[in-house]
Formats: sequence, structure tokens, C-alpha cells
Amino acid sequence: MNHMKQLTITSDAPGAPLLLLGNEAIARGAIEAGVTVLSSYPGTPSSEIGQAVIDAAKDLPHMYVEWSANEKLGFEVAFSASMTGVRTMTTMKHVGLNVAHDPVMTACNMGVKGGLVVVVADDPHMHSSQNEQDSRYVALQGYLPVFEPATGQEAKDMMADAFMFSEEWGQMVMFRPVTRLSHARSRVILGPIERPEREAVFDKDSTRWVCQPSNSRRHRVEMLTRHARIKEAADSFKYNRLDLRPGAKLGIIASGLGWAYLEDAVRWLGIADQVSILKLGMTVPIPDKLVLELLEATPEVLVVEDLEPIIENQVKVVAQNHKIAKTIHGKNVVPVNGELSTRRVMEALAQVLSVEMPVDFRSLDAVGDEAAPLLPLRPPALCSGCPHRASLYAEGQAARKYKREFKKEVAARCGDIGCYGLGFFAPLSSDDTQICMSASLGAAQGIAQATGGPTIAHIGDSTFFHSGLSSLANAVFNNANVTLLILDNAITAQTGFQEDPATGRTASGSPSPVIKPEDVARAMQVKFVEVVDPFEVDTTIDTIGRALRSEGPAVVVCRQACQVLKQRELKEEGKRFVPCEIDREACNDCRVCIKRLGCPAILIEAEGVVIDSGQCTGCMVCAAVCPKDAIKSVGSR
Amino acid sequence: MPTTAVEELNIILAGVGGQGVILMSDLLGNSALADGLNIQGSEVLGMAQRGGSVFSNIRLGDGAVGPLTPQGKCDILVAVEPSEALRYVKELAPSALVILNTTEVRPYTVATGESAYPAFDVILATVRKVTKQIIPLDATQIAKEAGNALAANTAMLGALFGSGRLPIKVETMKELIKSRVPPKAVEANLKAFDMGYAAVAESLNA
Ligand SMILES: Cc1ncc(C[n+]2csc(CCOP(=O)(O)OP(=O)(O)O)c2C)c(N)n1
Repeated sequence: MNHMKQLTITSDAPGAPLLLLGNEAIARGAIEAGVTVLSSYPGTPSSEIGQAVIDAAKDLPHMYVEWSANEKLGFEVAFSASMTGVRTMTTMKHVGLNVAHDPVMTACNMGVKGGLVVVVADDPHMHSSQNEQDSRYVALQGYLPVFEPATGQEAKDMMADAFMFSEEWGQMVMFRPVTRLSHARSRVILGPIERPEREAVFDKDSTRWVCQPSNSRRHRVEMLTRHARIKEAADSFKYNRLDLRPGAKLGIIASGLGWAYLEDAVRWLGIADQVSILKLGMTVPIPDKLVLELLEATPEVLVVEDLEPIIENQVKVVAQNHKIAKTIHGKNVVPVNGELSTRRVMEALAQVLSVEMPVDFRSLDAVGDEAAPLLPLRPPALCSGCPHRASLYAEGQAARKYKREFKKEVAARCGDIGCYGLGFFAPLSSDDTQICMSASLGAAQGIAQATGGPTIAHIGDSTFFHSGLSSLANAVFNNANVTLLILDNAITAQTGFQEDPATGRTASGSPSPVIKPEDVARAMQVKFVEVVDPFEVDTTIDTIGRALRSEGPAVVVCRQACQVLKQRELKEEGKRFVPCEIDREACNDCRVCIKRLGCPAILIEAEGVVIDSGQCTGCMVCAAVCPKDAIKSVGSR
Repeated sequence: MPTTAVEELNIILAGVGGQGVILMSDLLGNSALADGLNIQGSEVLGMAQRGGSVFSNIRLGDGAVGPLTPQGKCDILVAVEPSEALRYVKELAPSALVILNTTEVRPYTVATGESAYPAFDVILATVRKVTKQIIPLDATQIAKEAGNALAANTAMLGALFGSGRLPIKVETMKELIKSRVPPKAVEANLKAFDMGYAAVAESLNA
């Protein structure tokens, strides 16, 4: 046991078992394959893959790792590094692929030299995303092979093999986990680690890496040929497995977690002898011969896959091409929206086979429906002492003052994607729009140009550098009547504190210049640029007010560190925050602090409003809001 | 105590951020690993902020394939916060065992009147609609008596082992607690574990 305690994901201990997160298993697979370059932008549920590889790189000197400014860069760095012959990877969440889409589509045409694996984590049920989209559509569009792991062990094994596969075929591989696989925890048996001894060399070849139409026409033909060969090889791909049962009443094709839930369902229902199963590890392209074998051997077929009918539609093409008129079930019985579960698979099976449910789901649902309204609400909230709360409160107050003064509303307050997205909820209620990363500034411009404005946008530092730079240039270029708040906490907090261009440090910890958003704004010719500390509440309200009254685009940088990180730092130094407390005499129980700020450290107890000293970080924003001056720092006692 | 071999045992750990549910999950998972068991599980990550609901499920044995306990198949629910049990009643198997900490963690929405906290009897009555096997215990009090108020999670782990339904050796778990918990908290945590264990073992024998 002591032996196991010392194992980590960089241990060269083939055969040893380790308890790993799905994302760590994917990272381990890459390390076993000797990945040399990782460049990623974080995004739930993919972030821990990049983080695990970055942490591992400290022990593996042959590696270069970075948090890139966005997914397009993450992809471009990984792709072009692969041109030098080394193995490379990038990771992202599904919407990140939208950002990287442009170079991905051309890179598909060009093919790769060193193995390149693009990990795209889909998020069925939108556990932490703004939409539900199936990345495999992009793979179909770009003729990219897609690998879908079904278990933690397979995630590791398949990831390592994906590099080999990519290199063998000269094509990048899309590796597609879903949230529940990324965040699964399971026993994984480690494999050997390959130590790459390749030198990265960029061979200049003007016919290979230049997308002039004369080259691209040839690239496209080569890509189509490559894809056709991959399709043939799919029949013997080691993660595609056909298990034919003589006399089976149903053939089932399943991939990823769909297969895992299917296994659980078949065992529970006790119908293993009634079904033949084709497990697909590669879902684009599908193995025609195996599919045909299943279609011929069974009276009906059911396809089980998360999200869209990607396998199903390909299977229907195979059936059509071979004039097979059997029924192929899929999204008619397995929902497109939301995520799969054992229950969903059982209910799909019940629609095509006569099976008896081992438990009464309806009565369980009924108890669940009774229980749900009894639960006290535990809504997600900004942390106590979060500077975003202060900035968004000030923004709201400035907008209110503007209305009073000009008898006209600020037309819209446009929000963005980051921790501050929680400002949407009461009592801050700060967001009239949220679309995608950096769309706050685009939306604020559209509404301002249509209505005459003014409008407000607020965006975090990571999001600003991700894709907000060109948005700001557009605002200046077209003289939009917008005020932009840049909420600069110098870190990518929401996804787990990754470094970004405002941090002053790279992913591997070496120093890099702090790029200040105010310098960027000034260089872009914004006339009104000011920097405030949002904990100075009155100054912040006043500054935003002046920005709203100024002509053209205005930028207010609200700079204050993420309090979670600050707390960690203090703890390491053996210190802690000095909290606030309520002066019982002065407090008249008006609860303005709670109604305006909704800070989780402010509670109501029998004696009235109290501040939980365990949670309070002493930001003093509530003290500024209190009409009775009843909140003081414990330190000032 | 001899360990029982199982084909499949599904455990859900429920609580709120700050209660150490993820540490429990890590301890349970690694003790199962040390005893050579197959383990599948999954966590809800990224919501571990203080007061938010936290969930982890662990599936032991060769019969478990997917990362999520199938609905209707949860064998043991450990609620480190009592109302959180309500969130998972619909996951329970008819014969499930539910171990409930009786100490509440009330969210601020109760203070502001946006929501209400259910009476303990109501929680019990609702859970009883699915299973009669419910063991309430005050793990938070046990932890305090053991000398560390933060050890309620280890008390609940002890309670889970006290059910006698785990295929993991108690010794394995204790060794792991020793190696994972900060040195000065080891003694209190082991004591909390033993007290939780005894509380459940006694109530099952009663
Ligand atoms: C295209 C895209 N990539 C990644 C994400 C995941 N994501 C959500 S918020 C966020 C970054 C937030 O950082 P920042 O803007 O600095 O705000 P903070 O959370 O630090 O307050 C990321 C990467 C996403 N939603 N969309």
C-alpha cells in the first residue's frame, strides 16, 4: 500500500493500478505515448487533462507545455509543432472547437507528420456549458477519425494508441470523451512510458504546409484517399468489437459511455443471450463490414450513442447501400437531448424488446418529485469576498444613477463567460445577455448601435485575451457607445486557476510579462481608460458613471485578485484574512447588505444579521453598502 | 472482520461543499484499489464551493461497468448533510441502506426566507417511502467528541464500514486514513471512524 501511495501519473510502473480521474487517464495515455507538446485552453469538462500533463511535464524535461490564449492558438501551436515530427496534442471543451474550427478544417486537408490528437470533451446535459453540441459533426465535415473511450482504462489505452494511429495514417485524431467519462474515477492499470528520442525538425516543403489552392486541391484528394483507407482499416481496429450471439433478437451498436450504460442495462435485465453487440471505439468512420455482419445476423438494430445520430446515420447509409430493409432504431427511442444513463438505455431496450423492468422507475420518480420541493435551495453563488461582486454591484449602481440623471435607461448590460456569469442571479442581476466567450462586447455594440446606447459590457481578463481584443478594436473602429468593464483578477478562475496573459507567469511557472488591459485599450485609441480597485466602492461607481457619460467606447479596468487564491497565499504564509463584524448597537436589521450583495458570509441568525468570520474575507464592500455604518473590520476593534 | 465478496455494490456519498465528501470518496476509492477491487465511480467536480451540493458515487465489484450508479440500484446512501438525502432518494434500490448525519448545514436562502429547511421527520418519512433501513447518527457530534469537529466525514466512513456490507478491510481503510490525513489530526480521525463504526454496528445488532 505504501508502494501505491507513491505512484503518480508519471510513474514508470507498468502493470501497477492507480485510481484516476477519466481526464487523468487521458493525460497518462498521452504521457505513455511520449507526447512532446501540449497547448490547450481550459474549459470544463476538459481542463484537468491539460493540467495533469502540465504538472507531469515538471518531471519530463523533453516536454513543452502551455496554456494558450484560446483554442484556435492551442490547436495551431499543436498542429504546427506536429509538422516538426514530434507527438503533440491540444485539449478543449466542445465550444472550444467552434473557436478552433477554422484552422482545424484546413489542417484536416493537410494531414500531420508527428502524431496529433485533438481532445474535445462534449458536455451532454450542459453540466457546465452554454449549449449541447456534438463535436463529431466537425469530424464528419473534416474527415477526421473519432475515438470514443468507454471506460477510464480504455481512455488511457486508446489515448496512447491514438498518437500511433495518427502517425501511421498521417491524419490527426479527434478524441471525444464526455463529461461523465472525464469526471469518472476508476482503477487504471498503467502501461510503459515511451521516451521519445526524436529531434523536432521542420522540413521546409512548400507543397505541404501552404494552403494555396493549387496545393489544397491535391491535399483534398489525398485526404479523401486517406479517409477511405482508414475506413477499410476500421474493420480490424482494436477498439471495435463485435460479439455475435446466435439467435439474438436484437443487434446493438454502442459507443463510449453509451456502451458502458448498455452493459449495465443488459446485465441488470438479464438479456445477454438475446442481444448481439457491436462496440465501437472509432465512431467516424464506422467499420462497414462489421456493421454489415451485425445487420445480416439480427432482425433489428438499435444504436446507442450520446447526443446526435452520428453512428446511426452512417449505419443507415450502409444498410441502404446494401439494400437491407431492416429497422434501425436510434434517436427514435434514445433521446437526442441530455445525457445517457442506464435507465435511458433500459427504456430504449423496452421499446424494442419485451423486457421487464427490475424496478419501478415511475414510483421512484414520484418519490423524487415529492422530495425535490423539500430541498432547501443551494444556488451557485460568487464566493464570499469575490471582487466580481463588488464590480457588478458598482456597475448596477452606476446604471441606476445614469437613469436618474438622464431619464433614460442604460440600454443593456451584457455579460460574459467566467465566474462573473453568476452575477446573472439575484440580487446582482447584472446580465441582460450572455452568449459565448467575449460576446459581451459584441452584444453591447449591436444593441448600442441599434438603440443609440449607452450599453455596458463586462468581461474577465482570460476571456478578454481569448477573443475580446478584436471586439474592442471593432468598438473603436466603429465608434460604439459602449462602456467595457474588464474584471481583471489576473487568472482564469472559473476553470481552476489557469495562467493567462494577465498573470505574469506561464503554465510551467516561468515569468512572463503582465499584459495590462488598460495598456491594450490605450494602444487601441480608447479615449476613456481608467483603472479602479472594485473594493473602493464609491470610486468605482463614480468611475463607471463618468465612463457612461463619455463619448464613444470607454474602458474601466476593475483590478483585484481572486480571493480564493489570495486566501491560499495567506494560508501558506500562516496568515488569514481579517474579517468584518456587525456592530449590534448600530445595526437596525434593514438587511440592505444581504439584499444588495448576497454575500454567503452574511447570515441571519436569531440575534439578527451576522457575519460568519470563517467565510468573511474582510473585503469591506458590505461596510460601504451599509446605510447605518454598522459593519466594521474586526481589526479596527 | 472478514470482508464480503461482492459482484456489485453501489454507494452514493452526498453532502455539501466544505464537508469533505471528495476526501471520503478518495479514501474509499483508494482503499478499494488497495484491496484489489474493481472500482468505477464519478464525481460532480467544480461545485465544491462552500455550501453547494456535492455528490460522489462509487461502484465496487466486477459487475459495475459505467461511472454512474444506475437509478434504482444504489445499495448504500451516505448523507453527510441530512437534507441532501432527499436529492438521491429516487436513486435508491428497494433494500437500500441510508446512513444519515443528523447535523444540518443550512444554506443562506433559509435565512433570507427564499427557501425552507425540511424537518428531520419529513426527511425520514420521505426516505422511508423507498426503504425502511435508515440509520441516523450525529456524526458531527461524534467528531467533536473524538476531538476534531472536521472529522464528521471520517465518522460517516466508519458508519459505512460498520454496516458490514463493504468488501474492503477495515485495516486497509485505517492505514489509508493515517497516510492521507494531516499527522496531528490522525488520532481524532481514527477515533471518529471507530465511533461511527460502533454506532452503526450496534444499531444493526439491536
Ligand atoms: C470557447 C470556450 N472556451 C472555454 C470555455 C470555458 N470557460 C468558461 S469561463 C472561462 C474563463 C474565465 O476566465 P476569466 O474571463 O478570466 O474570468 P474568471 O473566471 O477568472 O472570473 C473559460 C475558459 C468556454 N465557456 N468557452
